[in-house]
Amino acid sequence: MKINVMQDVLQANDKIAEDNRQIFRKNRNFVINLMSSPGAGKTLLLEKTAEMLAGKLRLGVIVGDVETTRDADRISKFGIPTIQLTTGNACHLDANMVAHALPHLKLDEIDILVVENVGNLVCPAEFIIGEDHKVMILSVTEGDEKPLKYPLMFHESKLMLINKIDLIQYTNFNLDEAKANARKINPDIDIIEISCINGTGLDRWISWLTDHYQLKQKGLSNA
Amino acid sequence: MHEMGIAQNILDIVVATAQKEGATRITRINLLAGELRAIEPLQLTFCFAIVAKDTIADGAFLNIEQIPVRGHCKDCNADFPIEDYIYVCPECSSSKIEITGGNELKLQDIEVE
Repeated sequence: MKINVMQDVLQANDKIAEDNRQIFRKNRNFVINLMSSPGAGKTLLLEKTAEMLAGKLRLGVIVGDVETTRDADRISKFGIPTIQLTTGNACHLDANMVAHALPHLKLDEIDILVVENVGNLVCPAEFIIGEDHKVMILSVTEGDEKPLKYPLMFHESKLMLINKIDLIQYTNFNLDEAKANARKINPDIDIIEISCINGTGLDRWISWLTDHYQLKQKGLSNA
Repeated sequence: MHEMGIAQNILDIVVATAQKEGATRITRINLLAGELRAIEPLQLTFCFAIVAKDTIADGAFLNIEQIPVRGHCKDCNADFPIEDYIYVCPECSSSKIEITGGNELKLQDIEVE
């Protein structure tokens, strides 16, 4: 006997993501899903972001890692409310894991919530968590062909940060090639070159973040 | 390895669907997987076999139909297949492309006993 199913495989995840989204809307949180491969600089970027936003906007962080609380320890030093999710053997965060972290955060005291996903260029792009935007980091030590090899993440991201730009002279990373490759996959993607070591481009990243935070606030007020 | 999480989601849906119809065994599952979803069929069938062990879907054949990526040009209205993830209209070279296929991850139907 044949039974018609016609159901989206990830509908259970997408439903929880929508519940998360409602919670974020109620608390007026602007939410970023931050993704990259391991070692691209997600945690250092968050440390710099915490420093630069201090006294302006209130940051909160949910960190996903397979093991250890090292990243959460680094970020919470800045006085930022931080929740660590250890995923065990899962290679990405899903909406359900994020939903379990939310009761541990005072969301009404947070303006921008960054969910630092597990380091991985494939799986995190597949699972929505209720975010406003996906932001990804590509570092120059990884190679300019990555958009073509891992298209889904580049396709889903609103912004690509090209990190470790201070090291570019020591690599064969071609900046124009990397941007062209990303735009082949996603013509509308925003791109900012940064270095968390010498500070290049971080002011542009902070402007992007605050502009999009304000856009969301305006949208919520008009709703 | 997002295949493991996806396999578990597939199992949850097909088992619930089969039980609602009073079936005791699932023999075949037909899945539509858009190429944008980056599903590796071999890996997904392998993961599914693991999660389905000792359930009513144990041994079920997971048939994965890959759906190619398709686009629609917002400037000249052309419809075309998108190859190598290059989002440019082959007719007018516009990059204002709407994705019309290849994003699916959908269970179509199952065969049960």
